[in-house]
Amino acid sequence: MIDNVTSVSPGKFAKGYKNFTNNEWFFPQHFPGNPNVPGALQLEAMAQMLTVAITTIDGLKGKVTHALSHEVRFKKEIFPGQRLDIITKVNSWSRGICEGYGKGLVEEDIVCEANMKITIPEIFIQYIPKR
Amino acid sequence: MNNKDKYIKVFVESFSIKESKLKKDLKYNTIPEWDSVGHMSMIGKIEKAFKITLEMDDIIDFSSFKTGIKILKKYKIKV
Repeated sequence: MIDNVTSVSPGKFAKGYKNFTNNEWFFPQHFPGNPNVPGALQLEAMAQMLTVAITTIDGLKGKVTHALSHEVRFKKEIFPGQRLDIITKVNSWSRGICEGYGKGLVEEDIVCEANMKITIPEIFIQYIPKR
Repeated sequence: MNNKDKYIKVFVESFSIKESKLKKDLKYNTIPEWDSVGHMSMIGKIEKAFKITLEMDDIIDFSSFKTGIKILKKYKIKV
């Protein structure tokens, strides 16, 4: 759910965008006569951008990431032909867990934002008590 | 606030439980809130409350309320 990453500081932030063309697979059904971008996909775009901020850290390229929990707010619809600018910030990165914030903008209006928690299981799992 | 109160507060806040649940030695994975993610959140709060950084082995071994008290002794924290 990202077309381009325009700026990244590993471990700190990542910015980019996603263009929603008229031909996206979901528009015909979401919804007929009133196409707009599903909230779940807006959240996915923000989560993927946050993942970029983490997996650009030295040694973490290509690591699998999982979502842990997200708290998201949707403020305005996104329509075909619009571009979602995505800005994410890492609040903390420790022991395989990243807590971060993301927002999506269309023409400088915030259309969605989220507090997100993601993990690199390969790292996180090393700290879990053995039963 | 003394160390015991601080320690109890971490558990109560991390897992949204009443203090009475700690009397019989709460253990990892015995309540839904103390799963792997809850564990890391609790560890972070312990470190912040007592201004320490736990070693990896101690994080892994920190599997119950009582065991945690023993582990904190290593860091010269008496609960």
